[in-house]
Amino acid sequence: MSTPDDERFEVYLKQFRPLAPEPLRTVWPGHRARRTFGLWTSIAAAAAILVMGVLTLHIRSNRARVTESVRNVGNSEHFVDDRPLTIWSANALLAKAPSFKAMVDDMAFRSQTIPVPKGKRSAIAILGQEKIKL
Amino acid sequence: MHRTDGNTAEIESLYRRHGPALLLFALAITGERGRAQDAVHQVFLSLIEKGSLSRAVDKKAYLFACVRNAALNEDKLRDRTTPLDPDAAWFSPPDRDYAAEQNLRRALDALPDDQRQVIVLHIWGELTFSQISDLLGLSSNTVASRYRYALAKLRDSMFAKENSYVNS
Repeated sequence: MSTPDDERFEVYLKQFRPLAPEPLRTVWPGHRARRTFGLWTSIAAAAAILVMGVLTLHIRSNRARVTESVRNVGNSEHFVDDRPLTIWSANALLAKAPSFKAMVDDMAFRSQTIPVPKGKRSAIAILGQEKIKL
Repeated sequence: MHRTDGNTAEIESLYRRHGPALLLFALAITGERGRAQDAVHQVFLSLIEKGSLSRAVDKKAYLFACVRNAALNEDKLRDRTTPLDPDAAWFSPPDRDYAAEQNLRRALDALPDDQRQVIVLHIWGELTFSQISDLLGLSSNTVASRYRYALAKLRDSMFAKENSYVNS
């Protein structure tokens, strides 16, 4: 049997509120699995998009270069290209030429088409005029 | 058994509603906040994993029983000689009377384990003597008797140090 004193004391004790525990740090397993799957899917999608973008840029860049080189090679058939000869353009010529000899001939002829700036003379032309005594 | 969103919401709601009293009950058993916190978290994590709460008829009493088992299991692994940490509060005191809080905590700690558990379960857990008797495996009369003894000791212990509740 509780006395009035007991009841008053109980009321007094109940004024003390127990402290709350720390938040329950948990990820529901189903949520965790779904979240992990979603995360990996996002990463894979982002990587795929990145790779596709890089590939597209690379292919477009190559295509433009090939188109330009083909145009140049087409012009060089008539020996009007005045750009300096490079390995890359030589390869392009080789690909275009019917034979290796034809390509070498083209290159040789082409080298002569490079215009000499005004007031200067070609060293090859000068050497070609000299009579070398052996 | 698979969990549903309803179960999840219910477990979260129970944690918010009964968490403080459950933590205090675990503190009454272990005497150490960290271990008490672990016991409460262990119970709720287990409920989340198993989703077995729906089988319990009296959910609040079931939670207290689970926390008691977890705290006692934890307590078996270590000795119960840890001194009470004077800085680790158990309660939010009325009017920020932290001296009274410390006084109450010491008085509770001075009680025998079985009496302390009964006091905490009845006063702050708001369990009836019948629920407590089921939980502790005792008769209702024994629980009521322990409660009366505990309340008297607690009052004497606190009265010896302060008279604040009489004047409040």
